[in-house]
Amino acid sequence: MALLIYQRETGLKTMSEFLRNWLTVLIFGGVGILLVSVFLGLGSLLRPSRDTPQKRINYESGVDPQGDMWSQANIRYYVFALMFVLFDVEAVFIFPWAARLEVYGLFGLVEMFIFIFILALGLLYAWRKRLLRWV
Amino acid sequence: MSTNLLIVAFERPAIDWHAVAPEIVLLSVGVLITLLDILFLEKARPYMAALSGLGILATAIPLLTLGIDGTERVLFDGAYVVDNFSLVLKAIFLLAGYVVILLSTNYIVDGDYWESEYYGLLLASLMGMIMMASSRDLISVFVALELLSIPAYLMVAWRKRDPKSNEAGLKYYLMGVFASAVMLYGMSLLFGVSGTTVLSEIADSIDAGNGSSSVMTLGIVFVVAGFAFKVSAVPFHTWAPDVYEGAPTPVTAFLSVASKAAGFVALLALIFVGFYELSNIWEPLIWILAALSMTVGNLVALRQTNIVRLMAYSGVAQTGFMIAPLAVAGHSLSTGNQALSAIVTYLAIYAAMNLGAFAVIITLARRTGSAEIDSFSGAFHFAPGLTVAMTIFLFSLAGIPPLGGWFAKFEVFRVLATSGETWGYLLAVVAAINSVIALFYYATIARKMWADDPSEKDLNNIEVTPSLVSALAICVLVTLLFGIFPQLVARFTEVSLLAFGV
Repeated sequence: MALLIYQRETGLKTMSEFLRNWLTVLIFGGVGILLVSVFLGLGSLLRPSRDTPQKRINYESGVDPQGDMWSQANIRYYVFALMFVLFDVEAVFIFPWAARLEVYGLFGLVEMFIFIFILALGLLYAWRKRLLRWV
Repeated sequence: MSTNLLIVAFERPAIDWHAVAPEIVLLSVGVLITLLDILFLEKARPYMAALSGLGILATAIPLLTLGIDGTERVLFDGAYVVDNFSLVLKAIFLLAGYVVILLSTNYIVDGDYWESEYYGLLLASLMGMIMMASSRDLISVFVALELLSIPAYLMVAWRKRDPKSNEAGLKYYLMGVFASAVMLYGMSLLFGVSGTTVLSEIADSIDAGNGSSSVMTLGIVFVVAGFAFKVSAVPFHTWAPDVYEGAPTPVTAFLSVASKAAGFVALLALIFVGFYELSNIWEPLIWILAALSMTVGNLVALRQTNIVRLMAYSGVAQTGFMIAPLAVAGHSLSTGNQALSAIVTYLAIYAAMNLGAFAVIITLARRTGSAEIDSFSGAFHFAPGLTVAMTIFLFSLAGIPPLGGWFAKFEVFRVLATSGETWGYLLAVVAAINSVIALFYYATIARKMWADDPSEKDLNNIEVTPSLVSALAICVLVTLLFGIFPQLVARFTEVSLLAFGV
């Protein structure tokens, strides 16, 4: 069935043509796997191996992990994460606009200010409802 | 192509301010409510309901002037269209929104819920709906859909301390997001084949021969399935009973009427403007959805003991009736136009009768403290007016003349019977059998309210707040008026989306 659809879409006539196309995919995948294993394998042969307890910790250079991994996170993080999304999305829209600011002219400026004003209302709301405080 | 876009100078899109005036007014009211909440906090609370109600009335003014003007306005290269179809549906949405605000007023105060936010979100959702009515582009359809859904997810979970409400919110959110994802996948396939997001250009692309592509078929199936979730058609209805039961009852009324209508609007726009030519793909799909929705919805509704769950299943069955004319809409252009008018008529009348039924349920449940059907027994002894109103709405939902629901069902049967297709006749038979089944459970509620003995001793007349009285008055008036003078509603719903003209 897949072959039939494929033949109709691409106009390929024979099975061998069909297979040859997939051969490219196969070779590409094989080379990818080969490259990774060769590099990692060579690395493990060349590098000295001195195991210390420090190296076994998750996040070797970060904060020491403490306690149970199922511990509850403070709900406040969630609020801040939401606020982050607000500005993240804002930035996504502002960057392309800023790159072409002079082309859009006054019209673009006013548009963007309306956009920022409505989003800023969200921040104002959070601030006024004391969501920005870490009590 | 992309380098060209960079070189071409930006041209300010010509915006027809009159055409987008309703959206701008509604947006301003929403912003105003948020601003007042930020400035005055609790002090502004008591005025929010009135303000949002006035805001909706203010939004209706540009809608009226647009209706009087009557010209079709096309904005943003065909992505946003203000025509008679969109105006009628915007009016339905605004009326439904206004009634829901009337229903919410006391409910939200009594429950000590967050009030300013509630009305802000309600207006945001309404904004998405009136945008949906004008959207003729895959992207604006999707943006409008998200704008109307996301506030609804929040409002469903508004009874924060009740686990049932939380469950409802989570279920609605997960199912809604799943449906959005399926739909978006379908849209991406449609875009992939046709190379455009504007619905009328997709239709051109189908005419040019892209319609035979199997990817196009897949895209249409996914998009229709996504909207079937939104309008709660079987087999995509499973979220409806739990969500309706857990949500605050005014929100349930809003979902069952406005949200469902919004799903229908998008479905109609997609099918009539976008892939009307491919009726061999969507007609069988719609036929199955319609037949299943009517049958399953009605059969399960027979066994419900909770009135809100019963209304949920009755809503599923009504969806089946509403969607039925679509199953023969591709037969010929005139059938298509008749089917569209029948569906819009049904949506308008269904909005009035269903909101009315919910208004009675809210009022009675305030008194009895329960949504079990048995707790409404003997309501005639302590709430005679409400019992009469509920009887009107129930018999209208069942389709008894001379109430509005009768004309809505009549139009559906007329389209199915005049299509001249065997499948159309068959669906008409299924619909007729289901009308009889539906009458049984609607009439059972009415019988309990009239004839049974009340379960409680307190027989003082129930206290009905002014806002609920006005909500009931609007709904009764519309239900009766449209039933007795069907030409009234027919005059407004005589709309067409088919560009070819008939």
